[in-house]
Amino acid sequence: MSELKRTQLYDLHVAAGATMVDFGGWDMPVQYPTGIVAEHLYTRHFCGLFDVSHMGRLLISGPQRVEFLQHVLSSNVLALDINEAQYCIIPNENGGAIDDAYLYRFEEDRFLLVVNAANTEKDLVHLREQVKAFDCTITDITAEWAAIAVQGPKSKELLTELAGGVQLTELVRNSLNSLELEGHFVRIAKTGYTGEPLGYEVYIRSEEAGWLWNRLIEMGARPSGLGARDTLRMEAVLPLYGHEMGVDPEGNEIPIFAVPLAKFAVSFSPLKGDFVGRKALEKQAAAYKRIREHQFDDIADLPKRIMPIALLDRGVMRAGMPVYQGDTQVGWVTSGTMVPYYVAEGEGLATRYTDETAKRAIGMAYLYSPIQREDTVEVDIRGKRLKAVIPHYHMRVDAPPFARPIIYKAEEPAAPVTDEDRRLKALELIRTATENHQWRQKYCINLIPSENSASKAVQLLCASDPAFRYAEHKKITSFYNQDIFYYQGTKFIDQVEHMLVEQMRQYLGCTEVETRVISGQMSNMAVFSSLMDWKNRLNRKQNPQRLGYILHNNILKGGHLSAQPMGALHDYVAVDPVTERNAVVSFPVCKDNPYKIDVEETKKVIEQYRPEFIIFGKSMVLHKEPVAAIRKFVDEQKIPTTIMYDMAHVMGLVGDYFQKPFEEGAEIVTGSTHKTFFGPQRGVIGVNYKKDELKYGLWKTIESRAFPGSVSNHHLGTQLGLLMAAYEMNTFKDSYQKAVIENAKHFAKCLKAEGLDVAGDPAIDYTETHQVIVRVGYGQGPDIAERLEQNNIIVNYQATPDEEAFTASGALRMGVNEMTRFGFGKQEFAQLASLMADCILRNKDVTDDVEKLRAGYTEMKYCFSDAEMEEALGNFLGTIGF
Amino acid sequence: MNYPNDLLYSKSHEWVKEENGVCVIGISDFAQDALGDVVFVNLPQEGDEVTAGEAFGDVESVKAVSDLLSPVTGTVCAVNEELMDSPELLNSDCYGSWIIKVENVTDKEELLDAAAYEAHCAEEE
Repeated sequence: MSELKRTQLYDLHVAAGATMVDFGGWDMPVQYPTGIVAEHLYTRHFCGLFDVSHMGRLLISGPQRVEFLQHVLSSNVLALDINEAQYCIIPNENGGAIDDAYLYRFEEDRFLLVVNAANTEKDLVHLREQVKAFDCTITDITAEWAAIAVQGPKSKELLTELAGGVQLTELVRNSLNSLELEGHFVRIAKTGYTGEPLGYEVYIRSEEAGWLWNRLIEMGARPSGLGARDTLRMEAVLPLYGHEMGVDPEGNEIPIFAVPLAKFAVSFSPLKGDFVGRKALEKQAAAYKRIREHQFDDIADLPKRIMPIALLDRGVMRAGMPVYQGDTQVGWVTSGTMVPYYVAEGEGLATRYTDETAKRAIGMAYLYSPIQREDTVEVDIRGKRLKAVIPHYHMRVDAPPFARPIIYKAEEPAAPVTDEDRRLKALELIRTATENHQWRQKYCINLIPSENSASKAVQLLCASDPAFRYAEHKKITSFYNQDIFYYQGTKFIDQVEHMLVEQMRQYLGCTEVETRVISGQMSNMAVFSSLMDWKNRLNRKQNPQRLGYILHNNILKGGHLSAQPMGALHDYVAVDPVTERNAVVSFPVCKDNPYKIDVEETKKVIEQYRPEFIIFGKSMVLHKEPVAAIRKFVDEQKIPTTIMYDMAHVMGLVGDYFQKPFEEGAEIVTGSTHKTFFGPQRGVIGVNYKKDELKYGLWKTIESRAFPGSVSNHHLGTQLGLLMAAYEMNTFKDSYQKAVIENAKHFAKCLKAEGLDVAGDPAIDYTETHQVIVRVGYGQGPDIAERLEQNNIIVNYQATPDEEAFTASGALRMGVNEMTRFGFGKQEFAQLASLMADCILRNKDVTDDVEKLRAGYTEMKYCFSDAEMEEALGNFLGTIGF
Repeated sequence: MNYPNDLLYSKSHEWVKEENGVCVIGISDFAQDALGDVVFVNLPQEGDEVTAGEAFGDVESVKAVSDLLSPVTGTVCAVNEELMDSPELLNSDCYGSWIIKVENVTDKEELLDAAAYEAHCAEEE
């Protein structure tokens, strides 16, 4: 046997007392004295360190590097931008895997391909044979660069500290960066093989690897061996070559599409040409599709699939054990062991991990393709048949900072409900709704920036008769474009709608307004649908083209759901054929202020992508949007586009103290009417096209995509309420808007003075809107928000631009709009800031003080409250009440 | 490694302690260390016959499964059920955590005293 190879960190492993084993020709630590279970748990709970320097690191450079990689890898290499990585497979002609790998693009002119240690030689033979046809070179840099995986919920904090506070990478998985850690140059990737939502792989020059390893241990990370690496990847259902890839126990090749990750790793983009294994993979993909459609009669190309498996009886599964359904063997276990986890208590966001641990027998299996999730099977464990289930997953990673174990349990049937149960529940509903109304309107201080309370007049109008009616109407050209109603009894609401449109036109300062949309999100969808329709208006005989590129605010930088591909853009945004991803690009933000759009960088993005649609507006909003600057730029550059401003949050701030969107050059404004605006929950669309303009046609389309495109019944009760809100806003906006912005700035300054970490630019007193953002520590947002609620202060927890998801929120998002309406001024907000600091920083119970402060401000301001109005409201209440 | 003097040991790393004609059986410090984290123990039932040199159960670590070999022939009269829920006791307290007790003992493997067993382990390492 040839001598085992040693990584750059070998001496450190031995000195730490690691148990060393031969792994793919390398002398590697399988565990440290703490043991596999402790190493697994420590990674899930804090931070594990893994020496992954045994993996092969190959640099691919030269003029035809892209063509070469497109030919030998399963993935679409052109989808990789600089500082992005992708999982991929090195296929053979039969559609089997020679290896699986990760491709990194740290630099413009070369790629880094990281392959399995045991396969490196085999891969190199294959790749060197293939590369002969291409003008590019493969350089093995395994010896020059070490690789250390830093995985677990604390990994980001530790590495960020070493980076001097610089953002390590963009937040999404597979993001890359090159930076210095305490003066040592590294290449860093947000990747890993543990399933941790927070985890990095760091490439560092060999001679400096020991420094990084020891430094991270000093900071609290713990070395973990191959044993824990295996149990961690198994829990995450990540394949291991030789188990879930390669050949099965009978010696047959496992097709690539048998592995769940294949659907990410394989691309059939025309840009890939006739790559190695393409034909076989296309057949597998077709069989995979049939299997997903539950058509199992023609699946010879994919007879079995890799699935997670969980043992229900007591025992432990191991690789190679046969799996049965009845008397039929349906496959084998490919990986299996007992995996530890921290026991959770509580539900939902209040889920907490205790110090108690437990173990479960889980693994992966290669099973007949017709076997589905939730099916039960039996595993032959040394002659004993034990019951097992095919679960959906063993773990989920969509609620950072933790990877969350999912312990399989069968669903329990719901208990039957009797008529008497329902009667009691009905009564209970009235009582609890009464309590809730009292609590929110009299005792709580509401700081949710997307909410506002409505005046008595608005509330009563919303509950009156039109709430139960229909009033569909459409402009008919034969009647000189008069609105024709489809129902009788609608003359009153017809007038109301006309007056509402007129009030909103005055308010927004535009030519046309649509008020039938019943939410902000619906406003956006109606506009997106209209733009798509407008784009395809000259060719109706083909499938319509979707929109793209679209320039928007990314949700991770405060963008609203209603302008994201996973939100309202979902059905309207195109897929870029090169990247095979949604054709959206995000506004770049300032390096020193992630809450503000970087105008100069935005201009570069616009020149590069030439977006056909630009959407301003966000839900975490501290600044004015640079509408005028961007309008000027696209006009100068003659870039055909449509500029929309989704003013959802700031709809009530349109005017001198904030922004006048149409004067700045927006063509379309959408929004919801209940955040800073005074109204009930509805949407609105305004456009500034004139009748003689070409784009007036787009307005006509918007009208038809509102009705009948989005609504049939447009909820007349709240439409009536909205007219009152519009009267109030147009009458009181000057004093209200001024007060909101002054209060927000003052509140921010007071919170800062109280010792809280207020986000934003101190030079403008942190905010130009109704919102104030306070950072409370990574992942602490939900807990602090809950604590404030127990003290009758209602806020949003909010992920800042540095946080992966709402579950990792480290900030509070607050708005002064509602309390300003109830009459709060600077003094009250100063008092509130002091109470909040007591609650957040000193964990003091401030409930009584909050109630006292609120008690003086329960009467709505900025609405009509003279004697005549009071009398009319009294009559109205008597009429619509009992 | 710790090998208490009041116990006898089999070459396959089980320990035996005889109390009033009943053999109490567990695994040695050397065994638990070599296994690594014990995550599951397959136990026989009371009344089962066990044979010297043959498997009476198995112990699973994260890495692998190993047979438990009986150092004696006889009838199982007690099983340490606590190990079902807490198999890690075999790591943390291997001499305090017996696995089975055997009565009606008719035969025994060759058993070593602590010093001889320590020498045997040193050879295996």
